Amino acid sequence: MNAHVGKAPVAAAKLQHHVIYVSDLKRSKDFYIRLFDLQFSALNHPDSSAAMRLANMEMHFFSFGFYHHDICLVKHHKLQMDNGSMLHFSLIARDSGAFEAIRQRAKELGVATRDGRLIASAKAPLGGRAFCLQDPDHHWIEIVEEPGQ
Amino acid sequence: MTTVSYVPPNVLPPFLQKFAPLLKRKWFRGLVLAPPTLTGRRFSNKTEDYGVFEPSRIARIAQVSIFVQDIARARQWYEKLGGLRHSRTCEEEPHPFKEGWRIRCCYMSAAEHEECLVLVEERDPDGKITIPSGMSFFHTAFELQGNRLEDVFAFADQAKQAGFARNYGPVRHNSEPPIGDGETGGNVACYFYDPDYHNVEFCGAMDTIENYRARYGDTKGSSRA
Repeated sequence: MNAHVGKAPVAAAKLQHHVIYVSDLKRSKDFYIRLFDLQFSALNHPDSSAAMRLANMEMHFFSFGFYHHDICLVKHHKLQMDNGSMLHFSLIARDSGAFEAIRQRAKELGVATRDGRLIASAKAPLGGRAFCLQDPDHHWIEIVEEPGQ
Repeated sequence: MTTVSYVPPNVLPPFLQKFAPLLKRKWFRGLVLAPPTLTGRRFSNKTEDYGVFEPSRIARIAQVSIFVQDIARARQWYEKLGGLRHSRTCEEEPHPFKEGWRIRCCYMSAAEHEECLVLVEERDPDGKITIPSGMSFFHTAFELQGNRLEDVFAFADQAKQAGFARNYGPVRHNSEPPIGDGETGGNVACYFYDPDYHNVEFCGAMDTIENYRARYGDTKGSSRA
């Protein structure tokens, strides 16, 4: 574990996963799976996870298809979640077909969408498109299409 | 800029942070889980991973924007601890969905991920800044350069040398001694609170579709606990 002695400092390479609070795990799980085809990859339950028991939380893990988890939904059993610490998070669609499929699925689910990036100062994807929607707990999610996919 | 001292209710008290390393000990996890073990709930509400890896409609997470009280203070923290780069800080702009509110955004980049983090000062119509509540997300996680167990330990060590206090870790989120904490994912991770008490994970070596089967075969997490 001293492999880095004398080497450059280790820095963050990339944003890898994000864990959001939700108020109803089943409702949010259904939403994310139906909208994005996320894969339910793990469950940490307070009856069988010491960390979750101490923290009064239950966590559901979802994979985009490569990492064990990319998005996690967590319910705090003692505290109330809110929208007071995060403006939004954004996701890159796998390809143009997936981008359109998510928009179509949102329409079928009755989820309102708005075109474009959520934050005006965000860089527009060159040649790509974006739209935004809210999950059942009013977390803003931005879907971005990367050109050339 | 003047900031308000506010500790969100989900922040782990220092006293409990001292006990958190005990989660790496199987006897301690067993002690914590004694009540649901005795009632049998431990076996009906299993903590386990499924090794399910099918393509989804999403390729990757692109960006997270979080509220901060002071962009300069937060920016310095992410630069010094995480090695993130400042890309640009914008002039104030209208809030995207709150009439009369305004935001100012600072875009930060990681080594391989442009503008992955946005530090946002949010102000109401009277100019009062939002104090981050801490209750929108539990944590956000950055993968470290190298992406190996050794890289996470080196990062934790360099952070300590620089005076940054971890709230948890380094641990490995599985049940394998000596650093497994009984959770799932396989990632080696350490956690820090930023100046606004956002919980930030720095990790590596997470299980993937490529190594999950090689590591565990078809054995579920509950069978390995």
